[in-house]
Amino acid sequence: MLCPTRRELSARLSIGAVVAAFWLSFLLWFAADLKQHGATETAFQWFSVDNLVVAFGLRLDRLSELMLLVVTGVAGAIHIYSYSYMAEDRDVPRYFASLSLFTFAMLGIVLANNFVLMFVFWELVGLSSYLLIGFWFERPAAADAGKKAFLANRIGDTGFLLGIILLWSATGSVHFGTIQQLLHEQPKLLGEMSTIIGLLIFCGAVGKSAQFPLHVWLPDAMEGPTPVSALIHAATMVAAGIFMLCRVFFVFLAEPSMPLMLAGLSGISALDVIAAIGMITALLAALMAVQQNDIKRILAYSTLSQLGLMVLAVGCRGPLPAMFHLTTHAFFKALLFLGAGAVIHAMHHEQDIWRMGGLGRKMPVTAAVFLAATLALCGLPPFSGFYSKDAILACVLKQNMVLFLAAVATSVLTAFYMFRLVFVAFAGKPRTSEAGHAHEAPALMLYPMLFLVVPSVLAGFWSVEPYLEPLFSAHAATAVKPWYEQLLAPFDEPLAAFAGLGAAGFGIFAAATLYLGAREDSLPSRWGAFARVLRNRFYIDEIYRVCITLGLDAVAAILDFFDRWILAGVIVRGLHGTVELTGRILRLFQTGNLHTYGFMFGLGVIITLWLALMR
Amino acid sequence: MFFGLSILTIIILLPLLAALVLAFVPRERGVLFHGVALVVTGVVMVLGAGLFWQFQPGAKGLQFEQSWIWVAGLDIRFHLGLDGLNSGLLFMGTLVAFAAACASWEIRERTKEFYILLLVMTGGILGAFAAQDLFFFYVFHELALIPTFLMIGIWGRGERKNYATFQITLYLVVGSLILLVGLLGLYWQAGARTFDLVELAAHLRARPIPVAAQAWIFPLLLFGFGILVSLWPFHTWAPLGYASAPTSTAMLHAGVLKKFGVYGLIRIALPMVPEGARHWLPVIAFLCLGNILYCGLVAVRQKDLNLLIGNSSVAHMGFIFLGIASGSLLGVTGAVVIMVAHGLLAALAFALSGYLHQQLGSLQMDAMSGLLRRVPFLGTVLLLTLMAGCGLPGFPNFIGESLVLFGVWKPFPLVTILAAWGALVIAAVYMLRAIRKILHGPVIEQGLALEDARNPWRKLPFALLLGALLLLGCYPRLLVDQVKPQAAAVLRLPSP
Amino acid sequence: MIGLNHYLVISVLLFSLGLLGVLLRRNLLIVYMSLELMLNAANLALAAFSKYNQQLDGQILVFFIVTVAAAEVAVGLALMVALFRLRQTVRVDELNAMKL
Repeated sequence: MLCPTRRELSARLSIGAVVAAFWLSFLLWFAADLKQHGATETAFQWFSVDNLVVAFGLRLDRLSELMLLVVTGVAGAIHIYSYSYMAEDRDVPRYFASLSLFTFAMLGIVLANNFVLMFVFWELVGLSSYLLIGFWFERPAAADAGKKAFLANRIGDTGFLLGIILLWSATGSVHFGTIQQLLHEQPKLLGEMSTIIGLLIFCGAVGKSAQFPLHVWLPDAMEGPTPVSALIHAATMVAAGIFMLCRVFFVFLAEPSMPLMLAGLSGISALDVIAAIGMITALLAALMAVQQNDIKRILAYSTLSQLGLMVLAVGCRGPLPAMFHLTTHAFFKALLFLGAGAVIHAMHHEQDIWRMGGLGRKMPVTAAVFLAATLALCGLPPFSGFYSKDAILACVLKQNMVLFLAAVATSVLTAFYMFRLVFVAFAGKPRTSEAGHAHEAPALMLYPMLFLVVPSVLAGFWSVEPYLEPLFSAHAATAVKPWYEQLLAPFDEPLAAFAGLGAAGFGIFAAATLYLGAREDSLPSRWGAFARVLRNRFYIDEIYRVCITLGLDAVAAILDFFDRWILAGVIVRGLHGTVELTGRILRLFQTGNLHTYGFMFGLGVIITLWLALMR
Repeated sequence: MFFGLSILTIIILLPLLAALVLAFVPRERGVLFHGVALVVTGVVMVLGAGLFWQFQPGAKGLQFEQSWIWVAGLDIRFHLGLDGLNSGLLFMGTLVAFAAACASWEIRERTKEFYILLLVMTGGILGAFAAQDLFFFYVFHELALIPTFLMIGIWGRGERKNYATFQITLYLVVGSLILLVGLLGLYWQAGARTFDLVELAAHLRARPIPVAAQAWIFPLLLFGFGILVSLWPFHTWAPLGYASAPTSTAMLHAGVLKKFGVYGLIRIALPMVPEGARHWLPVIAFLCLGNILYCGLVAVRQKDLNLLIGNSSVAHMGFIFLGIASGSLLGVTGAVVIMVAHGLLAALAFALSGYLHQQLGSLQMDAMSGLLRRVPFLGTVLLLTLMAGCGLPGFPNFIGESLVLFGVWKPFPLVTILAAWGALVIAAVYMLRAIRKILHGPVIEQGLALEDARNPWRKLPFALLLGALLLLGCYPRLLVDQVKPQAAAVLRLPSP
Repeated sequence: MIGLNHYLVISVLLFSLGLLGVLLRRNLLIVYMSLELMLNAANLALAAFSKYNQQLDGQILVFFIVTVAAAEVAVGLALMVALFRLRQTVRVDELNAMKL
């Protein structure tokens, strides 16, 4: 149903038709979602060999319906926003074609009913992200960033594919439903490989959701157009990793065990590693965000940090809070990016927050929605972020105190760097003439932002948990609470709720004292070397660069040398030389003179005759 | 059937007859030769597509069969026929042949000889894949091989042309000779006194060759065929040879003719000397890692686009060998799918690089930048080609490679991990590097004479090959269902 | 009575003369004629043996040789004329390269 409309989109029709077609499909999906209930699957065989049966199958259940709403909702808003934002670009058809390819692939991930098909769309999402990051390919930085993103994703995908292969060889199927059923019946089916399978599949999410140590591509991905950053690198694609973890959560529930070789690590389950990685990413990224000055990069690190929180939640056996936070985060982070896009648009592509200031008065609507989204991100009630973050905190608290403290620290830092951004860019006086002459964004950019404000603020009134719960546990669904009860629900777990609130308040307070009305950043002088380390992102990129140069490039250079000089040179040329030498000797006999030939011929005949007759 | 001739026979004899007729046309009629080559390969392509479409997957025996007694005393037959192994390859071959004829605009000198050789090569290649007789199997291959040497030597490019010609000739002739010894060994040891492949296979199934004899026949076949497909470490001829070859030759050889080696392994070595194969499969698995990792890493370092494509093509051969080494239905099916997919891909890549070389006079990647802006059509096709080369879904290469990786896990898990790394990461590294250098980056406005393919005729070969790739990639059952039953037969498994 | 040996001696003489001519003369035409002489020496020997052994095989072979020689002369002379046009010489020692 979707493909033809999408194909129309990617065909180079006028942008008006593109937007209209998009709205049609969006409305269609929206209507269908509200009516359908339960898991329905449609499939036709894509290919099958031996016991590898791959269906082109779609699965529609609560989880995918929720993701459909998120993806089409955010994508719809951003398509319209792009219409205005990209109006002056000469490659609009290419832009919309790539954007539609992305939406198609993302919906494919959401709807796929087996691992291989999900991997297919997983790769296509990677491709469209590559195309869109490198959209302004004439800029070397953009082209490099696209390459980096694709490669980092590919490293993760290698693990994912190996995980799929291992899972298939253990269960004989790649179909989600079948594997879930099998694992439910025989929890020990995966045998000693279960933990490794879980970790390998998690590798895919590490790449796509930019978790440590593959997080380096996401900040660079901000080289793409801002609507792209909003859609792909904040709201949907990076969330695909989280979605995938939730979709295949049953794999992680298998009895953990390690092969004999690694018996020393047998106490560790895949979920523990996932939680640890999530925590590291959340904390590291939040720290890095504190010292960034590029408005989009701050948001990018904030995305990293929030994704880390979601992964942490999954690792703490809480796919429900993770999905809840994914949903709310998609809306308010997209909104933040769109707001940042409006600011950048108004500032003629200036992204340094220290060259802004006082924008609140020049662009009141943008500032208002940006503030709303910031409050949601920091987790203040009644904004949606409070409810979803609280759900995560509560979930983590049940598992581990250390992780809980780390999550709270992340919340403090989140509030701090977000309000640093708000105070520096929107409050105070204009620092440059561009900031003084900034103007409000055009209507076509404002409407999508206003549309996104609604879910950003209100999504917390409806928890997703009652809808999704049957997918993850055998319990009957909890009753859906009315929204006013939902509003106060977090306080059933007071420690988590007040810790979250306190963290946000402390962060905002710190940012206000440091940055309200400040002319320049005072942290570098106070923290010295530590601030420099933060600004340079713990030098992780540099370390990678050195490792890659020393490792891969050196190996490639050695092999190239070997290929050129040893294999092709010494051995082949050696053979060549021997043959050539023989040829040169024999050539002495080829004088070209008929008489010599005749004489030798005669001599040959005589010798042959002599040999034949006389002996 | 058409006057007692199978369409298959017509497909193979048509180019050879056309070459014979052209030999008697005076060379002054310059355009005529290209025209005839285009028409003949075009007709062949349409017929080839028809065969592929009409092929009944899973039906018993050969289809579109033709069998004439050639030398009764030795039981050599002119025997052609399609089964699942070669139906896709034949279709791919006809398509590439037409595209190669389209893409040979660069040839301006001695057009008569060039097109005659091109047609002979086409006929030889298609014959080698369709042959069901050991004698013709070998002879058709040689018939296609010799024009390759001549074309590289006469119409080749670059300073190292002569060295490349020398090397490729030496390697391939030596490979063919080793192969000949192996095939003759097989023939004598089988004791069936027939060259007919179908009868030979049936005979060997009933009375296999003694294991001791299989143990020396298989390596001869393996290395004979292996040299023809650039099995590591016998691969050095390939990148340089392709870099020096004229576009059409590189397309036909890298795309189609080279697959003869792996096709022979699957068609002859695996089913006829299974015990020897069992012995040697682990060796193949480790040698093909040489292809995948070693040549992949070498490709990362290349500065010339053609050398990069050549090395990556060698690396892709590794996956075909890996599929064969797995000895499983998944692996062998995957190997055949990669053969078809890579044929189309390599032809497309060399057609593109040939076009760029013709316009720019060099393929140094450092000298190019931002071509996506200068030549949007070609740039997009090149982008998709390179992406297909690193195994993007939507192209049949992905299907084949994943089938191989799934199939090879059980026998060789460690090799699978390294091969997956090679397929997903190393391939992506060099392909993205090429895209970054050639297509992306600041646009060079001056001093770069470059024109996009505006004329639909110029676009045709690219569009055809890309279209076939996308078709097979999005609907893999077209190919997979044809290959599967025959792959099972090769491995002597019950037909699925 | 002239016996077989007489014929054979003449045949050997003719053959030797022909061989010497091929090896020593510089003119391509003469070399060619010497070549024909050698062929005819062989013919003579064949005919003589045929007569002596009362079998027809030898004479049949002679017919073949004569036919082939005629064709060979035609081709050879044509080549020689073409060569002369290109190089303006028929001297063997000057014709020592395949290239033009």
